[in-house]
Amino acid sequence: MTLTATSTLPEVAIAVGDHLRHCGITAVLTGGACVSVYTDGAYLSKDADFVIQGMVRQAALDRALAELGFTREGDCYVHPDTRFFLEFPPGPLAIGADLAIRPVEVRDGDKVTLALSPTDSCRDRLAAFYHWQDRQSLHLAVAVARHRAVDLEAIRKWSRSEGSDAAFKMFLRELRRDG
Amino acid sequence: MVVKTLSSPFGGQARTRALVALRLLGSSFPRELSRLLGIPVSAVSRALAGLERDALVVGRLVGRSRVYTLNPGYFARRELEAYLLELSEADRELRERSALLRRRPRRTGKPL
Repeated sequence: MTLTATSTLPEVAIAVGDHLRHCGITAVLTGGACVSVYTDGAYLSKDADFVIQGMVRQAALDRALAELGFTREGDCYVHPDTRFFLEFPPGPLAIGADLAIRPVEVRDGDKVTLALSPTDSCRDRLAAFYHWQDRQSLHLAVAVARHRAVDLEAIRKWSRSEGSDAAFKMFLRELRRDG
Repeated sequence: MVVKTLSSPFGGQARTRALVALRLLGSSFPRELSRLLGIPVSAVSRALAGLERDALVVGRLVGRSRVYTLNPGYFARRELEAYLLELSEADRELRERSALLRRRPRRTGKPL
């Protein structure tokens, strides 16, 4: 796929995940780009965060992404034809203290990437709300839960394990408020 | 060459001691850590930047200072905090110097 100025973030993210998979690199889409995918673009992030599974040499990642037209600038990969950039935060893939994350496949035509599930994407944003009291993250968690089916009971249990019962109730209140 | 008197399991004395200091203080900024640890600000800043890349600490701008804390979203935060507390037991000087830092608020205009 050729990335262009009109490529959306979900298109870019899925194309990158798909290409890395073909290069033998397993990468899981997380963060704001995941929210963008699950809210059908209602939320627009500037970057796509991937957590790489297993050991991958920097040179191998550089080479794979260069095939798509990305070049590394510091910790980011940028592309001349799309404003979205890529980041690879350090693993492991975890949400708070939970390491038992099962990524799901997200498709765009014949392209496929691994990504956090809607429930985990919701938890991922809630973790930011719980840890940094970041209200924007709360709204993004609500947006995911409004656009996709999420397992609220699993989120409640995880919130308790993170010591964030009260904050989870705030999330529920926001979710039940008229959207 | 300096004789190593403390272990540095996080890759270097500056990284390890910055982490221990953040565990003891809750939050801090490069200049304060530099004074506390007795190492140049540039070395502290480098250590913190590396720790931030490794997701062990997070920094945010407060006014013109970048204030760092241990990353509350780190998957092994509780274990890390417990380990750093153990490490601090071996660094008596750092514990004592940290304890002398005033962290409570001071009313604006109150005479020193």
